[in-house]
Amino acid sequence: MAVLELNRVKKSFGTGHKKVDALKETNFHAERGELIAVIGPSGSGKSTFLTIAGGLLSPTDGDILINDTNIATLNEKQLSKIRLKEIGFILQASNLVPFLTVEKQLKLLDKVKKDNLNKGQLEQLYKDLGIGDLRAKYPSDLSGGERQRVAIAKALYSNPSIILADEPTASLDSDRAYEVMELLKEETKNKKTTTIVVTHDIRLIDYCDKVYKMVDGVLELQQP
Amino acid sequence: MFLAWNEIIKNKLRFTLIIGVLMLVAYLVFFLSGLASGLASLNREAVDKWDADAIVLTEESDQSLTQSSFGSDAVDTIDADETAVLGQLNAIAQTGDEKANVSIFGINSDEFIMPEITEGKEFTGANQVVAGDALKDDGFKLGDTISLSSTEEKLEIVGFTDEARFNAAPVLYTDLDTFEQVKFGEAAGSESQISGVAVRTDDISGVTNEEDLAVIETETFIESLPGYTAQSLTLNFMIYFLFAISSVIVAIFLYVLTVQKISMFGVMKAQGIPSGYLARSVIAQTAILAAVGVVVGLGLTLLTGAFLPSAVPVGFDIPTMLIYGLVLIVVAILGAVFSVLTIVKIDPLKAIGG
Repeated sequence: MAVLELNRVKKSFGTGHKKVDALKETNFHAERGELIAVIGPSGSGKSTFLTIAGGLLSPTDGDILINDTNIATLNEKQLSKIRLKEIGFILQASNLVPFLTVEKQLKLLDKVKKDNLNKGQLEQLYKDLGIGDLRAKYPSDLSGGERQRVAIAKALYSNPSIILADEPTASLDSDRAYEVMELLKEETKNKKTTTIVVTHDIRLIDYCDKVYKMVDGVLELQQP
Repeated sequence: MFLAWNEIIKNKLRFTLIIGVLMLVAYLVFFLSGLASGLASLNREAVDKWDADAIVLTEESDQSLTQSSFGSDAVDTIDADETAVLGQLNAIAQTGDEKANVSIFGINSDEFIMPEITEGKEFTGANQVVAGDALKDDGFKLGDTISLSSTEEKLEIVGFTDEARFNAAPVLYTDLDTFEQVKFGEAAGSESQISGVAVRTDDISGVTNEEDLAVIETETFIESLPGYTAQSLTLNFMIYFLFAISSVIVAIFLYVLTVQKISMFGVMKAQGIPSGYLARSVIAQTAILAAVGVVVGLGLTLLTGAFLPSAVPVGFDIPTMLIYGLVLIVVAILGAVFSVLTIVKIDPLKAIGG
Protein backbone atom coordinates (compact mmCIF):
# COMPACT_ATOMS: atom_id res chain seq x y z
CA MET A 1 0.00 0.00 0.00
CA ALA A 2 1.31 3.45 -0.90
CA VAL A 3 2.08 5.65 2.10
CA LEU A 4 2.08 8.77 -0.05
CA GLU A 5 0.25 9.11 -3.33
CA LEU A 6 -0.21 12.11 -5.60
CA ASN A 7 -2.87 11.71 -8.28
CA ARG A 8 -3.07 14.25 -11.13
CA VAL A 9 -1.77 16.97 -8.84
CA LYS A 10 -1.22 20.40 -10.40
CA LYS A 11 -0.12 23.69 -8.95
CA SER A 12 -0.34 27.03 -10.70
CA PHE A 13 0.47 30.50 -9.42
CA GLY A 14 -1.16 33.66 -10.79
CA THR A 15 -3.87 33.98 -13.43
CA GLY A 16 -4.23 34.91 -17.09
CA HIS A 17 -1.03 35.66 -18.94
CA LYS A 18 0.82 35.79 -15.58
CA LYS A 19 -0.12 32.20 -14.81
CA VAL A 20 2.83 29.93 -13.99
CA ASP A 21 2.45 26.17 -13.82
CA ALA A 22 4.90 25.34 -11.07
CA LEU A 23 3.82 21.72 -11.00
CA LYS A 24 2.26 20.16 -14.07
CA GLU A 25 0.01 17.13 -13.77
CA THR A 26 1.93 14.88 -11.42
CA ASN A 27 1.42 11.30 -10.35
CA PHE A 28 3.63 9.92 -7.64
CA HIS A 29 3.58 7.17 -5.09
CA ALA A 30 5.93 6.07 -2.33
CA GLU A 31 5.91 2.81 -0.40
CA ARG A 32 6.86 2.10 3.20
CA GLY A 33 10.65 1.76 3.69
CA GLU A 34 11.55 3.59 0.47
CA LEU A 35 14.17 6.32 0.29
CA ILE A 36 13.35 8.49 -2.71
CA ALA A 37 15.30 11.35 -4.18
CA VAL A 38 13.72 14.18 -6.13
CA ILE A 39 16.42 15.99 -8.06
CA GLY A 40 16.39 18.88 -10.44
CA PRO A 41 17.75 22.38 -10.96
CA SER A 42 16.74 25.36 -8.88
CA GLY A 43 13.28 26.66 -9.77
CA SER A 44 12.21 23.40 -11.38
CA GLY A 45 9.36 22.85 -8.88
CA LYS A 46 11.04 20.51 -6.37
CA SER A 47 10.12 22.59 -3.35
CA THR A 48 6.57 23.06 -4.63
CA PHE A 49 6.27 19.30 -4.90
CA LEU A 50 7.63 18.81 -1.37
CA THR A 51 5.43 21.46 0.24
CA ILE A 52 2.34 20.07 -1.49
CA ALA A 53 3.24 16.54 -0.38
CA GLY A 54 3.74 17.86 3.17
CA GLY A 55 0.38 19.61 3.33
CA LEU A 56 1.93 23.06 3.52
CA LEU A 57 0.64 24.17 0.13
CA SER A 58 -2.73 23.37 -1.43
CA PRO A 59 -2.71 21.98 -4.97
CA THR A 60 -4.67 23.70 -7.71
CA ASP A 61 -6.04 20.32 -8.70
CA GLY A 62 -5.65 16.64 -7.83
CA ASP A 63 -5.58 14.39 -4.77
CA ILE A 64 -2.83 13.84 -2.20
CA LEU A 65 -3.29 10.65 -0.21
CA ILE A 66 -1.35 10.07 2.98
CA ASN A 67 -2.19 6.60 4.28
CA ASP A 68 -5.42 6.82 2.27
CA THR A 69 -6.48 10.21 3.69
CA ASN A 70 -6.92 12.83 0.98
CA ILE A 71 -5.25 15.86 2.53
CA ALA A 72 -6.12 18.11 -0.43
CA THR A 73 -9.59 18.58 1.07
CA LEU A 74 -8.53 19.28 4.67
CA ASN A 75 -8.52 22.65 6.45
CA GLU A 76 -5.43 24.14 8.13
CA LYS A 77 -6.23 22.70 11.55
CA GLN A 78 -6.70 19.19 10.14
CA LEU A 79 -3.55 19.55 8.06
CA SER A 80 -1.63 20.59 11.15
CA LYS A 81 -2.72 17.38 12.88
CA ILE A 82 -1.72 15.28 9.86
CA ARG A 83 1.70 16.96 9.74
CA LEU A 84 2.22 16.33 13.42
CA LYS A 85 1.14 12.70 13.24
CA GLU A 86 2.34 11.50 9.86
CA ILE A 87 5.15 13.73 8.62
CA GLY A 88 8.64 14.52 9.84
CA PHE A 89 10.31 17.53 8.24
CA ILE A 90 14.05 17.97 7.82
CA LEU A 91 14.81 21.39 6.46
CA GLN A 92 17.82 22.91 4.79
CA ALA A 93 19.18 24.79 7.79
CA SER A 94 17.94 22.27 10.35
CA ASN A 95 15.75 24.97 11.96
CA LEU A 96 16.03 23.80 15.52
CA VAL A 97 14.50 25.88 18.31
CA PRO A 98 17.49 27.99 19.41
CA PHE A 99 16.64 28.11 23.11
CA LEU A 100 16.02 24.38 23.61
CA THR A 101 18.71 21.81 24.34
CA VAL A 102 18.87 18.76 22.10
CA GLU A 103 16.93 16.73 24.64
CA LYS A 104 14.26 19.41 24.96
CA GLN A 105 13.90 19.72 21.17
CA LEU A 106 12.40 16.24 21.36
CA LYS A 107 10.55 16.81 24.62
CA LEU A 108 8.70 19.66 22.93
CA LEU A 109 7.00 17.10 20.72
CA ASP A 110 5.82 15.26 23.86
CA LYS A 111 3.91 18.41 24.80
CA VAL A 112 1.76 18.28 21.68
CA LYS A 113 1.72 14.60 20.71
CA LYS A 114 1.47 11.46 22.82
CA ASP A 115 2.54 8.51 20.64
CA ASN A 116 6.16 9.46 20.10
CA LEU A 117 9.03 6.98 20.54
CA ASN A 118 9.25 5.39 23.99
CA LYS A 119 12.26 5.79 26.27
CA GLY A 120 14.06 2.71 24.96
CA GLN A 121 13.47 3.66 21.33
CA LEU A 122 14.66 7.18 22.08
CA GLU A 123 17.89 5.88 23.59
CA GLN A 124 18.39 3.75 20.48
CA LEU A 125 17.74 6.79 18.28
CA TYR A 126 20.34 8.80 20.22
CA LYS A 127 22.76 5.93 19.73
CA ASP A 128 21.99 5.43 16.03
CA LEU A 129 22.45 9.10 15.29
CA GLY A 130 25.45 9.49 17.58
CA ILE A 131 23.99 12.43 19.48
CA GLY A 132 23.74 10.89 22.96
CA ASP A 133 26.48 13.16 24.27
CA LEU A 134 24.84 16.27 22.84
CA ARG A 135 21.63 16.11 24.88
CA ALA A 136 22.40 19.07 27.10
CA LYS A 137 23.74 21.24 24.30
CA TYR A 138 21.98 24.10 22.55
CA PRO A 139 21.90 24.31 18.73
CA SER A 140 24.41 27.15 18.84
CA ASP A 141 26.91 24.77 20.47
CA LEU A 142 26.61 22.20 17.65
CA SER A 143 28.39 21.86 14.34
CA GLY A 144 26.38 21.86 11.09
CA GLY A 145 26.50 18.08 10.87
CA GLU A 146 25.44 17.66 14.50
CA ARG A 147 22.55 20.07 14.01
CA GLN A 148 21.36 18.12 10.99
CA ARG A 149 21.56 14.84 12.92
CA VAL A 150 19.47 16.39 15.69
CA ALA A 151 16.99 17.58 13.06
CA ILE A 152 16.78 13.99 11.79
CA ALA A 153 16.23 12.78 15.37
CA LYS A 154 13.47 15.34 15.76
CA ALA A 155 11.83 14.22 12.54
CA LEU A 156 12.03 10.55 13.56
CA TYR A 157 11.05 10.99 17.21
CA SER A 158 7.39 11.58 16.41
CA ASN A 159 7.39 8.20 14.66
CA PRO A 160 6.07 9.56 11.34
CA SER A 161 5.19 7.45 8.35
CA ILE A 162 6.81 9.98 5.98
CA ILE A 163 9.96 12.04 6.23
CA LEU A 164 10.27 14.99 3.89
CA ALA A 165 13.78 16.38 3.65
CA ASP A 166 14.41 19.63 1.80
CA GLU A 167 18.09 19.88 0.81
CA PRO A 168 19.16 18.27 4.10
CA THR A 169 22.82 18.31 3.15
CA ALA A 170 23.00 21.79 1.64
CA SER A 171 24.93 23.32 4.52
CA LEU A 172 27.31 20.38 4.97
CA ASP A 173 30.65 19.41 3.50
CA SER A 174 30.81 16.20 1.43
CA ASP A 175 31.78 13.87 4.26
CA ARG A 176 29.01 15.19 6.52
CA ALA A 177 26.54 15.07 3.62
CA TYR A 178 27.27 11.39 2.98
CA GLU A 179 27.06 10.70 6.70
CA VAL A 180 23.61 12.30 6.89
CA MET A 181 22.38 10.36 3.85
CA GLU A 182 23.69 7.14 5.36
CA LEU A 183 21.78 7.88 8.54
CA LEU A 184 18.59 8.67 6.61
CA LYS A 185 18.93 5.42 4.71
CA GLU A 186 19.45 3.38 7.88
CA GLU A 187 16.55 4.96 9.71
CA THR A 188 14.30 4.57 6.68
CA LYS A 189 15.03 0.89 6.53
CA ASN A 190 15.03 0.29 10.29
CA LYS A 191 11.81 2.11 10.97
CA LYS A 192 10.09 1.32 7.68
CA THR A 193 9.55 5.01 7.10
CA THR A 194 9.07 6.60 3.70
CA THR A 195 11.72 9.24 3.13
CA ILE A 196 11.67 11.74 0.29
CA VAL A 197 14.78 13.85 -0.16
CA VAL A 198 14.65 16.88 -2.40
CA THR A 199 18.14 17.80 -3.53
CA HIS A 200 20.10 19.24 -6.41
CA ASP A 201 23.16 17.20 -5.34
CA ILE A 202 23.20 14.18 -7.65
CA ARG A 203 26.00 12.56 -5.62
CA LEU A 204 23.36 11.62 -3.05
CA ILE A 205 21.21 9.53 -5.37
CA ASP A 206 23.32 6.43 -4.81
CA TYR A 207 21.74 6.11 -1.37
CA CYS A 208 18.19 6.15 -2.74
CA ASP A 209 15.84 3.40 -3.89
CA LYS A 210 14.14 5.54 -6.51
CA VAL A 211 15.07 8.80 -8.15
CA TYR A 212 12.65 11.28 -9.66
CA LYS A 213 13.77 14.18 -11.76
CA MET A 214 11.86 17.43 -11.82
CA VAL A 215 12.24 19.60 -14.91
CA ASP A 216 10.01 22.65 -15.50
CA GLY A 217 7.30 21.32 -13.22
CA VAL A 218 7.25 17.85 -14.70
CA LEU A 219 8.22 14.96 -12.43
CA GLU A 220 9.71 11.90 -14.11
CA LEU A 221 10.86 8.63 -12.59
CA GLN A 222 14.46 7.95 -13.62
CA GLN A 223 15.37 4.50 -14.77
CA PRO A 224 18.03 2.77 -12.63
CA MET B 1 4.80 27.00 29.68
CA PHE B 2 7.56 24.64 28.46
CA LEU B 3 8.66 26.88 25.60
CA ALA B 4 8.08 30.06 27.59
CA TRP B 5 10.17 29.01 30.56
CA ASN B 6 13.00 27.52 28.52
CA GLU B 7 13.30 30.65 26.42
CA ILE B 8 13.53 32.79 29.54
CA ILE B 9 16.19 30.51 31.05
CA LYS B 10 18.27 30.58 27.85
CA ASN B 11 17.97 34.34 27.30
CA LYS B 12 18.31 35.57 30.87
CA LEU B 13 19.69 39.00 30.06
CA ARG B 14 17.04 39.83 27.47
CA PHE B 15 14.19 38.79 29.72
CA THR B 16 15.75 40.37 32.80
CA LEU B 17 15.69 43.68 30.94
CA ILE B 18 12.01 43.21 30.07
CA ILE B 19 11.24 42.26 33.67
CA GLY B 20 13.19 45.35 34.72
CA VAL B 21 10.96 47.61 32.64
CA LEU B 22 7.82 45.93 34.00
CA MET B 23 9.22 46.16 37.50
CA LEU B 24 9.78 49.91 37.12
CA VAL B 25 6.24 50.41 35.85
CA ALA B 26 4.89 48.34 38.75
CA TYR B 27 7.11 50.28 41.17
CA LEU B 28 5.71 53.55 39.87
CA VAL B 29 2.12 52.28 40.05
CA PHE B 30 2.58 51.01 43.61
CA PHE B 31 4.35 54.15 44.72
CA LEU B 32 1.66 56.38 43.22
CA SER B 33 -1.04 54.28 44.85
CA GLY B 34 0.82 54.63 48.16
CA LEU B 35 1.07 58.36 47.62
CA ALA B 36 -2.63 58.59 46.70
CA SER B 37 -3.55 56.59 49.78
CA GLY B 38 -1.20 58.61 51.99
CA LEU B 39 -2.47 61.94 50.75
CA ALA B 40 -6.06 60.75 51.13
CA SER B 41 -5.34 59.71 54.72
CA LEU B 42 -3.82 63.09 55.35
CA ASN B 43 -7.19 64.62 54.58
CA ARG B 44 -9.58 62.11 55.99
CA GLU B 45 -8.11 59.96 58.73
CA ALA B 46 -9.73 61.93 61.57
CA VAL B 47 -13.11 61.62 59.84
CA ASP B 48 -12.61 57.90 59.17
CA LYS B 49 -11.93 57.48 62.87
CA TRP B 50 -15.45 58.75 63.73
CA ASP B 51 -16.92 55.76 61.94
CA ALA B 52 -19.98 57.93 61.36
CA ASP B 53 -22.55 57.42 58.61
CA ALA B 54 -23.18 61.10 57.98
CA ILE B 55 -22.65 64.59 59.26
CA VAL B 56 -25.24 67.32 59.72
CA LEU B 57 -24.14 70.78 58.58
CA THR B 58 -25.98 73.96 57.79
CA GLU B 59 -27.57 74.04 54.36
CA GLU B 60 -25.78 77.23 53.41
CA SER B 61 -22.32 75.86 54.31
CA ASP B 62 -22.14 74.02 50.99
CA GLN B 63 -20.88 70.86 52.70
CA SER B 64 -17.98 72.72 54.31
CA LEU B 65 -17.45 72.04 58.01
CA THR B 66 -15.49 75.26 58.43
CA GLN B 67 -18.35 77.35 57.03
CA SER B 68 -21.05 75.62 59.06
CA SER B 69 -22.20 77.07 62.39
CA PHE B 70 -25.37 76.53 64.41
CA GLY B 71 -26.59 76.28 67.99
CA SER B 72 -25.99 73.04 69.82
CA ASP B 73 -29.70 72.81 70.75
CA ALA B 74 -30.30 71.72 67.13
CA VAL B 75 -29.05 68.30 68.22
CA ASP B 76 -32.49 67.78 69.81
CA THR B 77 -34.07 67.87 66.33
CA ILE B 78 -31.73 65.16 65.02
CA ASP B 79 -32.97 61.58 64.93
CA ALA B 80 -30.10 59.05 64.87
CA ASP B 81 -28.82 56.07 66.83
CA GLU B 82 -25.84 58.08 68.05
CA THR B 83 -24.84 61.69 67.70
CA ALA B 84 -21.61 63.58 68.40
CA VAL B 85 -21.39 67.35 68.28
CA LEU B 86 -18.38 68.95 66.68
CA GLY B 87 -17.00 72.45 66.56
CA GLN B 88 -14.17 72.99 64.14
CA LEU B 89 -11.63 75.73 63.69
CA ASN B 90 -8.38 76.05 61.79
CA ALA B 91 -5.47 77.73 63.53
CA ILE B 92 -1.71 77.95 63.74
CA ALA B 93 -0.35 76.45 66.91
CA GLN B 94 2.97 77.47 68.42
CA THR B 95 5.07 76.15 71.24
CA GLY B 96 8.46 77.71 71.67
CA ASP B 97 9.86 78.05 68.19
CA GLU B 98 7.73 75.27 66.75
CA LYS B 99 4.73 76.17 64.62
CA ALA B 100 2.14 74.02 62.88
CA ASN B 101 -1.21 74.29 61.15
CA VAL B 102 -3.82 72.57 63.27
CA SER B 103 -7.52 71.82 63.15
CA ILE B 104 -9.20 72.23 66.51
CA PHE B 105 -12.13 69.90 67.22
CA GLY B 106 -14.45 70.93 70.02
CA ILE B 107 -16.26 67.79 71.19
CA ASN B 108 -17.99 66.17 74.15
CA SER B 109 -15.67 63.58 75.67
CA ASP B 110 -18.54 61.14 76.23
CA GLU B 111 -19.51 61.08 72.53
CA PHE B 112 -18.08 58.88 69.80
CA ILE B 113 -15.76 61.45 68.21
CA MET B 114 -13.61 61.30 71.34
CA PRO B 115 -10.47 59.45 70.20
CA GLU B 116 -8.51 56.66 71.89
CA ILE B 117 -5.59 58.06 73.84
CA THR B 118 -2.22 56.61 72.87
CA GLU B 119 -0.14 58.68 75.26
CA GLY B 120 -1.06 60.85 78.28
CA LYS B 121 -4.71 61.25 79.29
CA GLU B 122 -8.04 62.64 78.15
CA PHE B 123 -8.80 66.33 78.52
CA THR B 124 -10.76 66.89 81.73
CA GLY B 125 -10.61 70.61 82.31
CA ALA B 126 -10.54 73.92 80.51
CA ASN B 127 -7.82 74.59 77.95
CA GLN B 128 -6.61 70.98 77.83
CA VAL B 129 -6.20 69.27 74.47
CA VAL B 130 -5.48 65.84 73.09
CA ALA B 131 -3.26 66.26 70.02
CA GLY B 132 -2.81 64.17 66.90
CA ASP B 133 0.59 62.50 67.15
CA ALA B 134 1.63 63.98 63.79
CA LEU B 135 2.39 67.08 65.85
CA LYS B 136 5.22 65.19 67.54
CA ASP B 137 7.09 65.39 64.23
CA ASP B 138 6.75 69.18 64.46
CA GLY B 139 8.39 69.19 67.90
CA PHE B 140 5.24 69.27 70.06
CA LYS B 141 5.25 67.08 73.17
CA LEU B 142 3.19 66.12 76.17
CA GLY B 143 2.78 68.99 78.68
CA ASP B 144 3.59 71.69 76.12
CA THR B 145 1.63 74.90 76.33
CA ILE B 146 0.33 75.97 72.96
CA SER B 147 -0.46 79.49 71.88
CA LEU B 148 -2.76 80.03 68.95
CA SER B 149 -2.63 82.56 66.16
CA SER B 150 -6.17 83.88 66.56
CA THR B 151 -6.61 84.11 70.31
CA GLU B 152 -4.90 84.85 73.58
CA GLU B 153 -6.03 81.48 74.97
CA LYS B 154 -3.29 79.02 75.90
CA LEU B 155 -3.81 75.29 75.56
CA GLU B 156 -1.99 72.43 77.24
CA ILE B 157 -1.29 69.11 75.56
CA VAL B 158 -2.42 66.44 78.03
CA GLY B 159 -2.55 63.52 75.63
CA PHE B 160 -1.83 62.25 72.15
CA THR B 161 -3.87 60.14 69.79
CA ASP B 162 -2.92 58.48 66.52
CA GLU B 163 -4.38 58.89 63.00
CA ALA B 164 -5.80 62.29 63.70
CA ARG B 165 -5.42 64.60 60.73
CA PHE B 166 -8.15 66.59 59.04
CA ASN B 167 -7.60 68.30 55.70
CA ALA B 168 -3.86 67.69 56.07
CA ALA B 169 -3.64 69.36 59.49
CA PRO B 170 -3.12 67.54 62.82
CA VAL B 171 -6.18 67.74 65.08
CA LEU B 172 -6.33 69.19 68.57
CA TYR B 173 -9.30 67.67 70.44
CA THR B 174 -10.73 69.75 73.25
CA ASP B 175 -14.05 70.29 75.03
CA LEU B 176 -16.73 72.54 73.60
CA ASP B 177 -16.26 75.28 76.20
CA THR B 178 -12.57 75.62 75.39
CA PHE B 179 -13.38 75.52 71.68
CA GLU B 180 -15.86 78.39 72.14
CA GLN B 181 -13.35 80.40 74.09
CA VAL B 182 -10.80 79.91 71.35
CA LYS B 183 -13.21 80.69 68.54
CA PHE B 184 -15.32 83.51 70.02
CA GLY B 185 -13.33 84.72 73.04
CA GLU B 186 -15.38 87.17 75.12
CA ALA B 187 -18.17 87.03 72.55
CA ALA B 188 -19.02 83.42 73.41
CA GLY B 189 -22.73 83.18 74.21
CA SER B 190 -24.67 81.04 76.64
CA GLU B 191 -25.61 78.55 73.93
CA SER B 192 -22.77 76.53 72.41
CA GLN B 193 -22.12 77.16 68.73
CA ILE B 194 -21.06 74.04 66.86
CA SER B 195 -20.01 73.32 63.28
CA GLY B 196 -21.72 70.00 62.78
CA VAL B 197 -23.14 66.85 64.27
CA ALA B 198 -21.74 63.46 63.27
CA VAL B 199 -24.42 60.76 63.29
CA ARG B 200 -24.56 56.99 63.24
CA THR B 201 -27.81 55.76 61.76
CA ASP B 202 -29.30 53.29 59.32
CA ASP B 203 -31.74 55.88 57.96
CA ILE B 204 -29.86 58.92 56.76
CA SER B 205 -32.91 60.43 55.07
CA GLY B 206 -34.75 60.58 58.39
CA VAL B 207 -32.00 62.29 60.39
CA THR B 208 -33.51 65.80 60.34
CA ASN B 209 -36.44 67.74 58.94
CA GLU B 210 -34.91 71.14 59.61
CA GLU B 211 -34.77 73.11 56.35
CA ASP B 212 -31.61 74.97 57.26
CA LEU B 213 -29.72 71.77 58.03
CA ALA B 214 -28.30 69.29 55.52
CA VAL B 215 -27.33 65.67 56.10
CA ILE B 216 -24.25 64.70 54.15
CA GLU B 217 -23.02 61.15 53.89
CA THR B 218 -19.49 60.72 55.24
CA GLU B 219 -17.94 59.80 51.87
CA THR B 220 -19.58 62.80 50.18
CA PHE B 221 -18.41 65.02 53.00
CA ILE B 222 -14.82 63.79 52.55
CA GLU B 223 -14.97 64.27 48.78
CA SER B 224 -16.06 67.86 49.41
CA LEU B 225 -12.95 68.64 51.45
CA PRO B 226 -10.95 71.35 49.65
CA GLY B 227 -8.63 69.80 47.05
CA TYR B 228 -9.39 66.22 48.05
CA THR B 229 -11.23 65.08 44.90
CA ALA B 230 -8.90 66.92 42.50
CA GLN B 231 -5.88 65.39 44.18
CA SER B 232 -7.35 61.87 44.23
CA LEU B 233 -8.48 62.08 40.61
CA THR B 234 -5.07 63.32 39.47
CA LEU B 235 -3.20 60.47 41.13
CA ASN B 236 -5.75 57.87 40.08
CA PHE B 237 -5.57 59.06 36.46
CA MET B 238 -1.81 58.72 36.59
CA ILE B 239 -2.22 55.15 37.83
CA TYR B 240 -4.79 54.30 35.14
CA PHE B 241 -2.56 55.79 32.44
CA LEU B 242 0.30 53.71 33.76
CA PHE B 243 -1.84 50.60 33.34
CA ALA B 244 -2.43 51.51 29.71
CA ILE B 245 1.23 52.41 29.20
CA SER B 246 2.42 49.12 30.70
CA SER B 247 0.07 47.25 28.38
CA VAL B 248 1.55 49.07 25.37
CA ILE B 249 5.13 48.53 26.58
CA VAL B 250 4.53 44.80 26.96
CA ALA B 251 2.78 44.67 23.60
CA ILE B 252 5.75 46.35 21.88
CA PHE B 253 8.37 44.18 23.58
CA LEU B 254 6.54 40.94 22.88
CA TYR B 255 5.70 41.94 19.34
CA VAL B 256 9.36 42.65 18.60
CA LEU B 257 10.34 39.33 20.17
CA THR B 258 7.63 37.52 18.21
CA VAL B 259 8.62 39.11 14.91
CA GLN B 260 12.20 37.95 15.52
CA LYS B 261 10.86 34.42 15.98
CA ILE B 262 8.46 34.28 13.03
CA SER B 263 10.69 31.87 11.15
CA MET B 264 11.03 29.59 14.18
CA PHE B 265 7.28 29.64 14.83
CA GLY B 266 6.71 28.94 11.13
CA VAL B 267 8.94 25.87 11.27
CA MET B 268 7.10 24.67 14.37
CA LYS B 269 3.77 25.17 12.63
CA ALA B 270 5.10 23.29 9.59
CA GLN B 271 5.97 20.47 11.95
CA GLY B 272 2.37 20.44 13.08
CA ILE B 273 2.70 22.21 16.42
CA PRO B 274 -0.66 23.98 16.77
CA SER B 275 -0.93 27.77 16.79
CA GLY B 276 -2.90 27.44 20.03
CA TYR B 277 0.09 25.85 21.77
CA LEU B 278 2.42 28.62 20.56
CA ALA B 279 -0.09 31.31 21.53
CA ARG B 280 -0.48 29.82 25.02
CA SER B 281 3.29 29.82 25.30
CA VAL B 282 3.45 33.56 24.58
CA ILE B 283 0.65 34.22 27.08
CA ALA B 284 2.41 32.10 29.72
CA GLN B 285 5.66 33.91 29.07
CA THR B 286 3.95 37.28 29.47
CA ALA B 287 2.30 36.15 32.69
CA ILE B 288 5.66 34.97 34.08
CA LEU B 289 7.44 38.21 33.12
CA ALA B 290 4.63 40.41 34.45
CA ALA B 291 4.26 38.43 37.68
CA VAL B 292 7.99 38.58 38.42
CA GLY B 293 8.09 42.30 37.52
CA VAL B 294 5.10 43.02 39.77
CA VAL B 295 6.44 41.01 42.73
CA VAL B 296 9.88 42.63 42.52
CA GLY B 297 8.22 46.05 42.07
CA LEU B 298 6.07 45.41 45.14
CA GLY B 299 9.07 44.39 47.22
CA LEU B 300 11.05 47.41 46.07
CA THR B 301 8.13 49.73 46.89
CA LEU B 302 7.78 48.36 50.42
CA LEU B 303 11.54 48.58 50.88
CA THR B 304 11.55 52.19 49.72
CA GLY B 305 8.59 52.92 52.00
CA ALA B 306 10.53 51.64 55.00
CA PHE B 307 13.27 54.22 54.40
CA LEU B 308 11.10 57.23 53.55
CA PRO B 309 10.97 60.11 56.06
CA SER B 310 7.64 60.42 57.86
CA ALA B 311 7.07 63.78 56.16
CA VAL B 312 6.38 61.93 52.88
CA PRO B 313 2.68 61.11 52.90
CA VAL B 314 2.69 57.51 51.69
CA GLY B 315 0.36 54.86 53.00
CA PHE B 316 0.69 51.43 51.42
CA ASP B 317 -2.61 49.63 51.38
CA ILE B 318 -1.66 46.00 50.68
CA PRO B 319 -5.08 44.83 49.32
CA THR B 320 -5.15 47.81 46.91
CA MET B 321 -1.58 47.09 45.83
CA LEU B 322 -2.41 43.42 45.24
CA ILE B 323 -5.38 44.41 43.09
CA TYR B 324 -3.21 46.87 41.12
CA GLY B 325 -0.57 44.15 40.73
CA LEU B 326 -3.18 41.78 39.38
CA VAL B 327 -4.46 44.46 37.00
CA LEU B 328 -0.89 45.02 35.76
CA ILE B 329 -0.53 41.31 35.00
CA VAL B 330 -3.89 41.26 33.21
CA VAL B 331 -3.09 44.34 31.07
CA ALA B 332 0.31 42.85 30.24
CA ILE B 333 -1.45 39.71 29.01
CA LEU B 334 -3.80 41.90 26.97
CA GLY B 335 -0.67 43.45 25.48
CA ALA B 336 0.39 39.97 24.35
CA VAL B 337 -2.72 39.64 22.20
CA PHE B 338 -0.98 41.35 19.25
CA SER B 339 1.75 38.75 19.35
CA VAL B 340 -0.78 35.95 19.55
CA LEU B 341 -2.55 37.31 16.45
CA THR B 342 0.81 37.50 14.67
CA ILE B 343 1.51 33.86 15.49
CA VAL B 344 -1.91 32.74 14.30
CA LYS B 345 -1.33 34.52 10.98
CA ILE B 346 2.15 33.05 10.34
CA ASP B 347 2.16 31.02 7.13
CA PRO B 348 4.49 28.07 7.78
CA LEU B 349 5.26 27.86 4.07
CA LYS B 350 6.55 31.44 3.92
CA ALA B 351 8.38 31.03 7.19
CA ILE B 352 10.42 28.09 5.90
CA GLY B 353 11.07 29.87 2.64
CA GLY B 354 8.73 27.89 0.41
